[in-house]
Amino acid sequence: MSKEKSFLSTKTIKVLTKRDLVSALHGWGIYVAAVISFLLSSFFLGRYLGGIRENNIRISPDPLSSFLFFPSVIIISFYLTILSSISVSQERDQGTLEILFYGPVSSSAFILAKYLKEMLTYLIIVVFFFVYFWGVSGLTNLGFSYGLAKAIFLSIFLVSCWISFGLFISSLTSRVRNSILWVVGVFLALWALYFGQGLLLSLSTEEMPAFLSYIGGAVSFIYQAVWWISPLSYLSRGMDAVNVGSIWLYGMSILYSIIYSVVLIILSIFILKRKGVRG
Amino acid sequence: MRKIMVFWGVFFCFLLYLQTTSMAQAPMMSEQLVYSLNVYNGKGYGGAFNPQTENTIYFIANKDSAISARTTLVYFWPITAKFMAGWQTLNEEVVGTLEILKEGKLIKSLKKQDNSLYYPEGYWGEISLLCIDEDAHTYYEKYKEATEEYYQKISEFYKARIEYRKKMDEFLEEIKKRREAGEEFTSEEIEKSIPKEPKPPEGPKFYTTEPRKDYVIDLPVGSYQIRIRAEDGTIIQDSQKNLVVFTSRRTGGTGYEIIPGNRWTMKESCDDPARIIYAAGKNTLYFNPFTQDEYNELYYNKLEDPQNPGRVERWRWVHITPIKDVTLLFLKGEEVLQRVKRLPYYVKQIPGPTLGYNITEYDKEKQPYERPTFEGYKLDLSSTLERTGYQINLEKKEGGFFKGGKREVRLVRKENSRLLYALSIFPLVIGVVIFLKRRRRLAP
Repeated sequence: MSKEKSFLSTKTIKVLTKRDLVSALHGWGIYVAAVISFLLSSFFLGRYLGGIRENNIRISPDPLSSFLFFPSVIIISFYLTILSSISVSQERDQGTLEILFYGPVSSSAFILAKYLKEMLTYLIIVVFFFVYFWGVSGLTNLGFSYGLAKAIFLSIFLVSCWISFGLFISSLTSRVRNSILWVVGVFLALWALYFGQGLLLSLSTEEMPAFLSYIGGAVSFIYQAVWWISPLSYLSRGMDAVNVGSIWLYGMSILYSIIYSVVLIILSIFILKRKGVRG
Repeated sequence: MRKIMVFWGVFFCFLLYLQTTSMAQAPMMSEQLVYSLNVYNGKGYGGAFNPQTENTIYFIANKDSAISARTTLVYFWPITAKFMAGWQTLNEEVVGTLEILKEGKLIKSLKKQDNSLYYPEGYWGEISLLCIDEDAHTYYEKYKEATEEYYQKISEFYKARIEYRKKMDEFLEEIKKRREAGEEFTSEEIEKSIPKEPKPPEGPKFYTTEPRKDYVIDLPVGSYQIRIRAEDGTIIQDSQKNLVVFTSRRTGGTGYEIIPGNRWTMKESCDDPARIIYAAGKNTLYFNPFTQDEYNELYYNKLEDPQNPGRVERWRWVHITPIKDVTLLFLKGEEVLQRVKRLPYYVKQIPGPTLGYNITEYDKEKQPYERPTFEGYKLDLSSTLERTGYQINLEKKEGGFFKGGKREVRLVRKENSRLLYALSIFPLVIGVVIFLKRRRRLAP
């Protein structure tokens, strides 16, 4: 009986994933997001090449890895987070979730299918990354290195954090508009926290007015508190691991990302079960 | 919507406020017990100071480093975001015995020792040695004697030059008179009888600092604590610090300092063999190879200045000694395209309103009173070179390559940067193809 149930669940995940993936491939979003990220990368690459010409020389281990993370992975992460954040709430909003749950669809199968769909979408974008950066290497002679391949592989796990974060937000909200507002708000708040902390750290504690030092302490505390919660910190850790070139940091970054994704997916399943199909 | 606008308004006002607080404020000074350091950094000695904000001092293992506690005024300097010591306002010696502890147990008690820094190639040279006790005084005396001797020679030189000018005037006067009297001279005759200009004496090539009293520490790798015990037996407040003694992870690598021909003051480093040298178009590069050791980034940065940031996960190469007796090879695969010798170069500013300079090969015969600006291996990269497959390497005199001297050189194509935008839209093309295929399939 349990074997039959698990087969049914796997089949359900496959069917749901395929349905959503085909729908994503037939839409324009994935292509437009990839084009925007590549156009921005091209702009920064152009400036980088201009810098080499101006200074006659630049010494770097692997410039393309930096351009992969900023802006390409960040833009794609944002796009996929939005997609995953509306995935549950959209089905709930339209009433299709209720219909699905009358059939052999469980909360876990539904969430896993949504997660797999976004991950497969990212893997398609990874193919785009390979083509684009291969093309860049050919056109500019910057070189497609082993380090870049490693960075692309690591990005799969970092993007997984963003996708599971989006699913978690989606399981909490009942309406598409709310999901988007939450994701955009959290995304901006995390970036503001990231930059705010950097700005406050640049000031001297001795010359800082009393209230600012309290704010500084609070911002620092929040930053530390969200360090393991924010998907941005996983991305920042991953970028550090690639820049430093440490195998240990690279491995740990992958491990942390897997744990983060698993925890958020389990939480999303649990919340969906608790809230039910009508939210 | 209104709430969001209000939120962002407050947020940006807050950012502006943060900006204004960091500007135009008189520094506040506070009296502190700090450590003045003269540390061995793998190639010589460098000075630094450790304010109260830094709890740990870093030293290289099994080498002498000098340290002393002093009371001074400390203030924060926002431009560098570092604490500075106002030595000129207050610089009081802290008297006592320096105690070194390991895992809470006292392992050494040190008294202050006389020490001075000896620079065999002069103050700007690359080598410096710490001389202790008698040696400190001996080397300082030697330097003082050499300086006095130099001043004496300078005084004699000035006298000789006055004498020379007087003789020269007399000589010119005599020649003039004899010419007026109808006498004729060949240039050889004039050359023979003209007074010879005296040459200025050369100053001492080495330099020694005045001896001072510090605690001299030489410890093996490990973590320690230090503190100062006053003469009355008490521990001096704020004198406790952690001491991390470390060593290099790898030694004997090869690093390059690269001077681009168009901006010789902006030197680049290429220390890690994994780094690639990207160049564009016609280029002149001057390479200066060094032996190098690899240290933990955090430890080494803190060794140079305890207030420097750094990350314990990172490693950095430190240039130790210049590599001089090798030939730089410019290769394409196995084929040697250029063999370059190390030569001295002189940077000459172009006179006039146009800013610029020329880098020319230094010629001792033609420039007896000048000194070469730098030495290096000059490599001219032509714009007609192909784009890939180039390397540089160092060939030893006795044959074979110098360890770790290989670097990849890539000539980038700037002219294709516009094509990158065209490349960027390929996902859209795939989208259109999928859309058209689907439409055809769905069409009745």
